[in-house]
Amino acid sequence: MRPRALPAPAKVRWAMLVTLLLAWELVPRTGLIPELLLPALSSTLKVLYQDSHIYWAALLVTLYEVALAMLIACGGGIITGAVVGGIARLRDLLLPVFSSLYAVPMVILYPVFTAWFGIGSESKIAFAGIYAFFPVMLSTAAGIRTIDPQFILAARSMGATLTQQVTRVIIPASLPAVFAGLRLGGALAIIGVVVSEMLTAAAGIGYLVTLNRTILDSARVFAALLMILVLSVAYYMLARAIERRVVVWQSVGRAPKAAQAEGGPGVPVAAAA
Amino acid sequence: MSRAQIIMTRLALLALVLAAWELLPRHQVVNPLLLPPLGDVLSMLGKLLLQARVHEAIGVTAAEVVVAFLIAVPLGAVLGVLIAESDYLGEVFKPMLFYVFSIPKSIFLPMFILAFGITFAQKVAYAAFTTTFVVMISAATAVESVKQDYILVARSYGATRAQILMRVYVPSMMPLLLEALRISMIFNFTGVMIAEMYASRTGIGHMISGWGENFQMPELFAGVILLSAVAVLFNEAVRFFEARCSAWRT
Amino acid sequence: MANLSQTMTVPGQQDTPPEKAAIEVANLSHIYAGAQGAVPALEDISMSVGSGRFVVIVGPSGCGKTSLLMMLAGLRAQSQGTILCHGRPISNPDPQRVGVIFQEASLYPWLTALDNIEFPLSLRGAPRDERRRRAQAMLILVGLEGFGERYPHELSGGMKQRVSIARGLVQDPPVLLMDEPFAALDEQTRMTMGHELLRIWSKTSKTVVFITHSLTEAVFLADEVLVMSARPGRIIDRIAVTLTRPRTYEMMATDAFGQLRERIWHQIRKAD
Repeated sequence: MRPRALPAPAKVRWAMLVTLLLAWELVPRTGLIPELLLPALSSTLKVLYQDSHIYWAALLVTLYEVALAMLIACGGGIITGAVVGGIARLRDLLLPVFSSLYAVPMVILYPVFTAWFGIGSESKIAFAGIYAFFPVMLSTAAGIRTIDPQFILAARSMGATLTQQVTRVIIPASLPAVFAGLRLGGALAIIGVVVSEMLTAAAGIGYLVTLNRTILDSARVFAALLMILVLSVAYYMLARAIERRVVVWQSVGRAPKAAQAEGGPGVPVAAAA
Repeated sequence: MSRAQIIMTRLALLALVLAAWELLPRHQVVNPLLLPPLGDVLSMLGKLLLQARVHEAIGVTAAEVVVAFLIAVPLGAVLGVLIAESDYLGEVFKPMLFYVFSIPKSIFLPMFILAFGITFAQKVAYAAFTTTFVVMISAATAVESVKQDYILVARSYGATRAQILMRVYVPSMMPLLLEALRISMIFNFTGVMIAEMYASRTGIGHMISGWGENFQMPELFAGVILLSAVAVLFNEAVRFFEARCSAWRT
Repeated sequence: MANLSQTMTVPGQQDTPPEKAAIEVANLSHIYAGAQGAVPALEDISMSVGSGRFVVIVGPSGCGKTSLLMMLAGLRAQSQGTILCHGRPISNPDPQRVGVIFQEASLYPWLTALDNIEFPLSLRGAPRDERRRRAQAMLILVGLEGFGERYPHELSGGMKQRVSIARGLVQDPPVLLMDEPFAALDEQTRMTMGHELLRIWSKTSKTVVFITHSLTEAVFLADEVLVMSARPGRIIDRIAVTLTRPRTYEMMATDAFGQLRERIWHQIRKAD
């Protein structure tokens, strides 16, 4: 209970990041951990620079797969979520089924997709698309379902037609949930693509991780790892920034709900259960 | 729709999917090499369940899942309670957790392999690592869900710290705790599967990825059905208890 | 406000028949299908609200006050009976004739205060500058000049209800239905808002039907108080409030005010 003596949380976070980066450089240098296990930050950056054409090419493949997977997951997820969440009968019928199916570890489907689509980009897109589909759909459905019925009643009292009720009330009212779903869906699409590239692939950053691991070239493994880290964090920051601009009206009172939605894939499931 | 109608419609839908899975490949509408008929898959599943090497693989996988869960849950719970109970720690760590969630944890698999080799310990360590974060967030949410009013009331009646913990925190967190365990198990199971599929010498995940590579589709689908059934049944069992514990929630 | 009424065309008023009643309800009953069979909610309600009058409906919780109001608004259909608004039946929402103000301000959180007020106008495709002009006039009327660009979450509870009233008035409907609009406000704000509402009402000469739980509020606002019984809801008493206008806070301390309040309370206790 001495809040004044403690440094600001943001400072602590920056200090932790700097410490982490310093440790990444110094611990291997001093030989506390062998470079095979943890190559120094400088060695990692050096190979990233030397092989930059390889890493850029891999990044392009990964981004292409992520983009298409997101398109499938977000497009399909929003449409299905809106239909399932909006129609009471479908909701009662299907939502519990979807959230039960969500318990299945999706990754076991990946061998099926490689058998069906080969080890090229198609299997990654299909896998990551399905992997990210469920959270987007469940989040959208939950968002549609939790729209305050007074909003629609008020619109009717003001003479809104059915189309106007959808475009002017239901769509804007469900935007926060849809965006939370998109943020989650995009992050999961990246995870899905990276996992599948690591498992069986011939291109992409995830493939570079696995390729270099098998030949024990740790610096190159960590270079790819660093790139994926930066990609994930950059995506998350971008998604948050877009969300803040679009949903400027999100009130303070709703903040806890939004924060919950950030709790990961569990939350849409929780909302649907 | 009444409860019975809903269940009947669901069963009808399930029957439709299963019938399509059986009939479409059987009549060459879809390529049976890519999607073997359900009957073939089920008879393969029956055969597989009699094989000693499958028993061994199931045993290994189950052991990994259980041990990783036993490590991750207490660890994540302690960390989660810490960030929920201390405003300061919460302010420092919560914004980071959301970033951590969006990072593919699988990229750290090579580090676990370098540290532990391709072993049982490596699978357990990796799965526990991925699960801890989920437990942590869920535990923090559960603690924060306890209304301060309840605690205030209990204190005004002179409840001791232990009484507040056992009589206020535990019952009011119960539904969320069960939910946390359920979701953690989903992540834990996925973690073990990824670790086994990535680099392994045994375990169901290893077998599945081998069947995929060798294009043994009946075996592959049998494995998928088996794992899905286990995951869904576990999930439903916990949800059943969750519903019973949260009857008081409106 | 006077010039506003002149410049606005209100179709509902143009063909108003000669009779004075703004709302006429005859033999209205409602039965809804509950889980345990049919539940009679409203029984044989007849009432007439004169044009420009302020009528308050009170009654025990669950007596069907809100249902009645929803029917007057054309938002819900009754099982039996007729509702006439300015001589024509109401069966669908008609914002040109009836404006509704809800308990929760039910402002759209994604629209600014001004955009919320414009919302009903934009639904029927009114031109942009007309919308803006009329919404601005309403904002001034409810005393929120300068707050037009705020989002609802940036406004206090009382301010939200002011915006909501402005939204109800912007189409200049002759009838305003209000469903416990101040119930979520604290006592002090509630009093101020009641006073404000009377000020706005005196400037716009609307017919108001107002639902409340607060007896003080009922007596303070009303020309006439209708007391409803517990389910099935019936009108069991009509109490004319003869206090002079404009009403002042000081009136609440008078014997006349207290006696009216006492009489309503007596009726409600009997009704419950």
